[in-house]
Amino acid sequence: MINYFAGVDIGSTMTKVVIYGEGIRAMIIGPTGPEHRKLANKVMEEALIQAHLKFEDLSYIIATGYGRINVPFADRQVTEITCHAKGLHSLLPTVKTVVDIGGQDSKGIKIKDGRVVSFVMNDKCAAGTGRFIEIMADSLGVPLNDMGRLSLTADKPAMISSTCTVFAEHEVTNQLSGGETLPNLVAGIHESVATRVASLVKKLNIEPDVAITGGGAKNIGLVKALEKKLGCPVLIPPEPLITGALGAAILAKEIFEKYTKEGQVPERSKSGLQEAKFFD
Amino acid sequence: MAELRDEKGLAKAERYYTDYGVRARELKAEGKKIIGYISALCPVEVLTAAGVVPFRLKGNVNEAITKGDAYMETIVCPFVRSVFDSAIKGKFNFIDGMVLPHQCDSLDRTSDVWRDYLNLPYFHFLNAPHVTDDPSIEFMKELLKLFIKTLEEYTGKKITDEDLKQAIAKHNENRRLMRGLYELRKVNPPLISGVEMIKVLIAAMGLPVDESNKLITEVIDEVKARAIPSNGLKKRIMIIGDQIDSVDIMDAIEGAGAYLVMDDISVGSKMYWQDIDTDKEPLQAIAERYLRKLKIPTNFVDTGGTYEDNLNARFGHMRRYIEEFKVDGAILFIYKYCDPYGFEVPAIKSYIESAGVPVLYLEDEYSTSTIARMKTRIEAFLEMMA
Repeated sequence: MINYFAGVDIGSTMTKVVIYGEGIRAMIIGPTGPEHRKLANKVMEEALIQAHLKFEDLSYIIATGYGRINVPFADRQVTEITCHAKGLHSLLPTVKTVVDIGGQDSKGIKIKDGRVVSFVMNDKCAAGTGRFIEIMADSLGVPLNDMGRLSLTADKPAMISSTCTVFAEHEVTNQLSGGETLPNLVAGIHESVATRVASLVKKLNIEPDVAITGGGAKNIGLVKALEKKLGCPVLIPPEPLITGALGAAILAKEIFEKYTKEGQVPERSKSGLQEAKFFD
Repeated sequence: MAELRDEKGLAKAERYYTDYGVRARELKAEGKKIIGYISALCPVEVLTAAGVVPFRLKGNVNEAITKGDAYMETIVCPFVRSVFDSAIKGKFNFIDGMVLPHQCDSLDRTSDVWRDYLNLPYFHFLNAPHVTDDPSIEFMKELLKLFIKTLEEYTGKKITDEDLKQAIAKHNENRRLMRGLYELRKVNPPLISGVEMIKVLIAAMGLPVDESNKLITEVIDEVKARAIPSNGLKKRIMIIGDQIDSVDIMDAIEGAGAYLVMDDISVGSKMYWQDIDTDKEPLQAIAERYLRKLKIPTNFVDTGGTYEDNLNARFGHMRRYIEEFKVDGAILFIYKYCDPYGFEVPAIKSYIESAGVPVLYLEDEYSTSTIARMKTRIEAFLEMMA
């Protein structure tokens, strides 16, 4: 009999669920939205349908991401730092440095033998995160998904010197009205984010292989800019959004098996698959 | 206050922490003079010898700075601005005066703001040197004489060597008692939590030394009576930082599943670990204690030896804490714009890591608004050590 496990990663922008048996059985990515806490169970339901499983079939569930404490049906909460490292290590075992560019934060994680040995997170503001690119895309009227491709056609990336998101937006619109081309501006935006992220991650003493995860990994322009700033190639996992949820599911399996080996049963959440409430 | 007459130990500390300044307010009503000070660099013995009540000022991490920013630029560190914000809002309207040390730029360059806008009957800028060589000790003694003179003029009472010796004895006793309470954190799990400890530390810094001594004694009796706990399984953490004067970060650390067993913070061990020598002339002993023994980043200790010797002179005590309190990991918690600590961060971090103890460096606002982000880092740090 196969035991099934789930990882739920509630990020600031996207909610991700992975169901894991012997390999990935289901993987669902949905928008988090302002009432994201109510959506964790819906994304989980979709994942169960995809996996042809019932909620009761799951042996252990771990929640991660910044909304992790708001998943009542999860049996344990683990930070996204530990989960990203775990998930990424299972996909790309040669990676020693992970750069994660999410919606509201960016982080660098050093891995040794599948374990986190050190990490850094941005603690200043939205500069160097996905939100910065989202806001710029919005003010330039470019769909977020086109930003990466568009920037590759730049001949000379524009210089964006403000690190404050609001001032940078101002700077970008000024340069646009001053005649700067859209591709050069978009490339400049990516360079600006890449510079912030690289200076954050360089505190870690970067060792290859380096991989990128999170929404930022889906932007080829940003990845190229980051490779330039870090001075080394950057690997991208097949689905860079799910490494946290995958890590959570694998960790769920490891914890469950550790207990089973000792002849014990891990304590489970008593809550069924239901909407999270703000106040219980 | 009849209903509170039997209140003792931790319950009393809790009340003095929650309603900070409540006792000083009562003492003021009884006619006592209350003198505020702001950092571990204030020689409280001199204030006690003068017959006034030393009262440590604190900020409020739960309150936004609303009035203070009209007087101080935002380049001033958030702790100093928060304390000033509380003061200008009248939270410390029972104090009669203030002592401000020459310590960091945020304090030095705002001393005129404190003096002019609070307009207290007594104000003294203690121009303590940052270098700790022999001429600096002589200079510090002259400064202490000046400090004593201003207090004598203010109170109309002479401060004798005997007064100083008595005050030194009482404050040494205060330090000995507090170290005794820290002793109870050495067992595993510790007999007193980090959250309880910070409340006692803060309660103690708002009391006259005799009352502080009584409070600590009561807390020791109460905590000692607790059942000897069974083997603790959580990681033992030491927190290092500057003016941490609320439970919030302690609560975040312990809430993440760790024991907070030791500190190197301004209201904590820095205040209590080094006594004043009693076999020396009082001013010499006080000067040596505050310049050479006190372990703060603004006291430059040049041993004349190698860089390694200087590091040991500045941070060696942290390694001793790690051994004595069996520390598994250290959290370095520094406020933004704190330049004395900011400069030391890489050195502290590598010094402690070279002792085989992992360090988590957190740079934060002086505010609880960012606590959720701090918690993620703390949890990840504990997961990393698991």
